[in-house]
Amino acid sequence: MPLIEMKNISKIYDNGVVANDHVNFSVEKGEIHALVGENGAGKSTLMKILYGIEQPTEGQILINGKEVSFRSSLDAIDEKIGMVHQNFMLIPSFSVADNIVLGNEPLQTNKLIDKKRSVEITEELSKTYGLNVIPEAIVDSINVGMRQRVEIIKMLYREAEILIMDEPTAVLTPQETQDLFNAIHKLVEQGKTVIFITHKLREVKEISDRVTVMRLGKMIGTVDTKDVTREQIANMMVGREVFLDITKPKINRGQKRMTVKDLTYVSETGTPVLRGVNFNLYSGEVLGIAGVEGNGQTELVEVITGLKSATGGEVLVHEKNILNRTPREIRMMKVAHIPEDRLTNGVAVNASIEENLIVDRYFKKPLNKGLLMDYKEVNKHSDALIKQFSIKTPDGKLPVSSLSGGNMQKVVVARELSSDPYVLIASQPTRGIDVGATEYIREQLVKYRTDGVAVLLVSADLSEVMSLSDRIVTLYEGKITGVFPDASKATEEELGLYMLGLKEQTAEEMEKVL
Amino acid sequence: MKKFFDSKNVRSFLRIVLALTIGLTFGFVITLIVSDEPMVAYKAFLFGPLSQLNRIGDWLEESLTLIFLGLAITIVFSAKQFYIGLEGQMILSALATGAVAIYMPAPPIIRVPLAFLAGMVVAVLWALIPALLKAYLGASELVTSLMFNTMALRLFEFLLRTYLQLPNANGIMSERVPEDARLRTFIPNLPFLEETRNAWSKATNVSWMVYVAIGAVLLAYILLYKTKFGYEIRAVGANAKFAKYGGINVKRTIVASILVSGVFSALAGSHLVLAITERIVQGMAFGFGFEGINISILSGNNPLGVPIASLFYGYLRAGSDVMERASDVSRELVFVVQAAVLLLLTAERLLPVVQQVVTTDEEEAAQLEKGSVK
Repeated sequence: MPLIEMKNISKIYDNGVVANDHVNFSVEKGEIHALVGENGAGKSTLMKILYGIEQPTEGQILINGKEVSFRSSLDAIDEKIGMVHQNFMLIPSFSVADNIVLGNEPLQTNKLIDKKRSVEITEELSKTYGLNVIPEAIVDSINVGMRQRVEIIKMLYREAEILIMDEPTAVLTPQETQDLFNAIHKLVEQGKTVIFITHKLREVKEISDRVTVMRLGKMIGTVDTKDVTREQIANMMVGREVFLDITKPKINRGQKRMTVKDLTYVSETGTPVLRGVNFNLYSGEVLGIAGVEGNGQTELVEVITGLKSATGGEVLVHEKNILNRTPREIRMMKVAHIPEDRLTNGVAVNASIEENLIVDRYFKKPLNKGLLMDYKEVNKHSDALIKQFSIKTPDGKLPVSSLSGGNMQKVVVARELSSDPYVLIASQPTRGIDVGATEYIREQLVKYRTDGVAVLLVSADLSEVMSLSDRIVTLYEGKITGVFPDASKATEEELGLYMLGLKEQTAEEMEKVL
Repeated sequence: MKKFFDSKNVRSFLRIVLALTIGLTFGFVITLIVSDEPMVAYKAFLFGPLSQLNRIGDWLEESLTLIFLGLAITIVFSAKQFYIGLEGQMILSALATGAVAIYMPAPPIIRVPLAFLAGMVVAVLWALIPALLKAYLGASELVTSLMFNTMALRLFEFLLRTYLQLPNANGIMSERVPEDARLRTFIPNLPFLEETRNAWSKATNVSWMVYVAIGAVLLAYILLYKTKFGYEIRAVGANAKFAKYGGINVKRTIVASILVSGVFSALAGSHLVLAITERIVQGMAFGFGFEGINISILSGNNPLGVPIASLFYGYLRAGSDVMERASDVSRELVFVVQAAVLLLLTAERLLPVVQQVVTTDEEEAAQLEKGSVK
C-alpha cells in the first residue's frame, strides 16, 4: 500500500484556471520521489493540496490507506507531512533555534520558554540528520543554504515523516546542492519519505528513486528513474523532442570587441573580490566564464555593466574605457546585459510588460515625441517583441508578475537582444526557468553569437557553459586561472581543477589564447 | 484583456465604497453613544455642508487645498519616496506668496504671478536638502522631511513675528492681502451669471483656483503617465535597481520627483493665503500637511482620483465643522471616521470578504496559514 495516494485530484481556481486536472499521484514509504514539470505545470498546486494550503475542487487523499481531508496545513502537520517552501518562512530577527521551536516551544517549569532546551533540540536534530546549522545564529545573518536546513529541521521537529521540498535547489550553489542531497539521503536512511519538486533533470537522475512528470495540470506518468534518460524525461515534460545539447554553427571569430585589463574590485567590506582580471572578447564567439559561485563572477559582471564601481583596471569597447561610467553610457556603447537575478535587476514585476521592454530605450525615437511618450509606439514595440520572442501573454499591458519565470526571463532576453548589441553579457541566463524556455534562450544566444555579437556567458551551470561556449576561462578567487581556447576539448574534470584553484596556467600560457 | 483591468478597477472602487460605508456607520454608532441628540448631530455631519451657500464654499475651498496636496504626494509616492514635508513647504510658500502680494510695489498683473512664483521657488528650495540627502547619502526622507516641517513652522513664526507682524492686531498676523491681489471668484463675469456670481463672491472664497486645480490634476496625470520623466519616476518607484540597471539616473529622478511635487504644495500654500485667510497668520496651515497622504491612499495614488478623494475628504471635514456648531458632538468625530476608512483601505486583511476578492497572491495566503500555526 502506498504511503500517500492522491486520487483524481482537480483544482480549479476562482478565476477559472485549471491547475490540476484529475491527477493521480502516489508515493511509497522511504522513497525519494521527484515531481517534475515546466513552470505552471501544476506541481506546486498539487503539493499545496497535499500540505493543506489549498483545497482540491474534487478528488481524495489517502494516507496509509485512510482518507483524510485537510482544511489547513495544521491538519497536514498532524498527519506528519511537512513542506519546505521555495521562499523560506522564517523570522529573520530570531535565532535559528527560536525559529525551529516556534509555535511549539519547550517550556521551563515556570512556563517561560526554555531557550537552553531549544538549542539542545536543534543540536540533536542537526546531528541526527546531518543538517549542519548554528543554533544561536540570527537567521538574518546566515546564508541561504543554512536557512533551508533550518526549514527542514523545523519540519523534523514537528515530527514530519513526509517532507515536501519545493524546488529546494533553485537558490543553492552547486556545493550546497550536494550537501542537501547528502542530507536527503540521510533522511531517507532514517525512514523519512521525500517529495522533491524540481525542473532540473540532472538532479532528478542524481537523487530520485522514482519520478512523476506533470504537464499543463495533467499527470503524464510515473517511472523508475533508473529506467529513463534525461532526454526521455524532458520529452515527457514538454511533449516534444528537446535538444539539451545545442548544435552550434562553426565559429567565425571576428575582431576584438572588448578588452578587460587588470580589472580589480574591492568590496565595501574591504575584501578584494576581483584581483586583476584579464581577457578579450571577440565578435562571433561565446566566451564562457566557469567558476564556483562566489568567486567574483557577480562582481565582474556588475563592474563591467556599470552597476558597481571598479577599484582599478580598464574595460575597453571601441577603444574607449567604459569602466565606472553610468549604466546609460555603457548601454549607449551597445553593451547589453542579461542580469543574474531577474527579479532584482531584470524586471520591475509590478510594471507592465511593455514598460519593462523599454527601460533602456524609452528616451529614443520613435517611442517618444520629445517630452511626451508615444504609448502607441510603445505598444507596437512590445507586441512585436512578444511575438518575436514568443513570450506567452495575452496582453503586453499586463504586469510582468503575471508571467511565469521562464517568460519573465524572455522579457529580459527580448529587451537585451533587441537592443542591437555589440557585446552581450549574459549572467545565469537560464537559472530557475523551465526546459522549454531554457532551450529557447540558449538557441537565441547562439544565434546572436553566430550573427557576430560578442557574448560573455557567466553561468553556475557548468554543462551550460561547456555546451554554449566557444572559449572558456576559469575564475577562481577573483583571478583567471585558466583559458581553454577550444571549449569542445575541455572536460568537466579538467575545468574543475582550475575552478577550484588546484591548477593554474601561467600568465604566458594564457596570454596567447586570451 | 481590457476586462481584467476594468474588473480590477471595479473591485478597488467597491472596496473604497465598502470602507466608506463601514467607516460612516462606525461614526454613527459612536455618535449614538456620545450624543444626546445623535440624529441632529449626524444629520448635520452628513448634510450640513450642503445646507448653506457659505458652507458649500467652505467645503470646496478645503477640497481645493487637498487637491494640490494630494497631487504633490501622488508624485513622490509614485517614485516610492516617502517625502512628507508638505506642511512645511505649504506654510513657507504661503508666507512667500503673501509677502510678495502684500508688499511688492507693482501692479497686480505682475504682482500676483510673481507671488505664486515666489511660493513655488520657496517650496522647491525647501525640499532640496531632504531630497539631496536622500539621493546621495541615503538619509531617510521620511525623517528629514518630518524634521524640516518643524523647522519650517518655527521659521514661519519667526519671520512673521519679526518682519510682518501687524501692529495692534489681536493675534500673530500680517496685514491683509490688498484687494487687487486677492483671488476672485471662479464664476465668469457674464451678464446672465451676474446674480450667482454676486451671491458666491459674498458668501464664499471659491476662487479661480478651481481652474488651476483642474489644470494641475491634468498636468500631474500627464506628467506621471505620458512623459519620459513620468516613466522614469514610475520605473524608479516600481524597482529602483531595475531602473538603475536600465540606465535611468535614479538619484536625479528621486531629487526631481521631490522638487516637482513642491510646485503642487506651493499652490496649496498660495491658495490658502490669497483666497482663504487673505493674510499671513499663525496656524494658517490648519494641519492640512499630512492630509495629502490620506488623499493619495483614497485615490489609489492616481492623479485622476485625487479630486474625487479630495471632495470627499473636504466634505467630511466641512461636515464635522457644521456638526460641532450644531450639536454636542465635537469635530474630532471626523478623525474617527477617517481613521476607520483608512484602516479598512490599508489593512485589507481586516476585511476578509474584501481580501478574498483582492488577494490573488497564493504565497500570501500560504504565509497566513503558516502564521496561524500554534
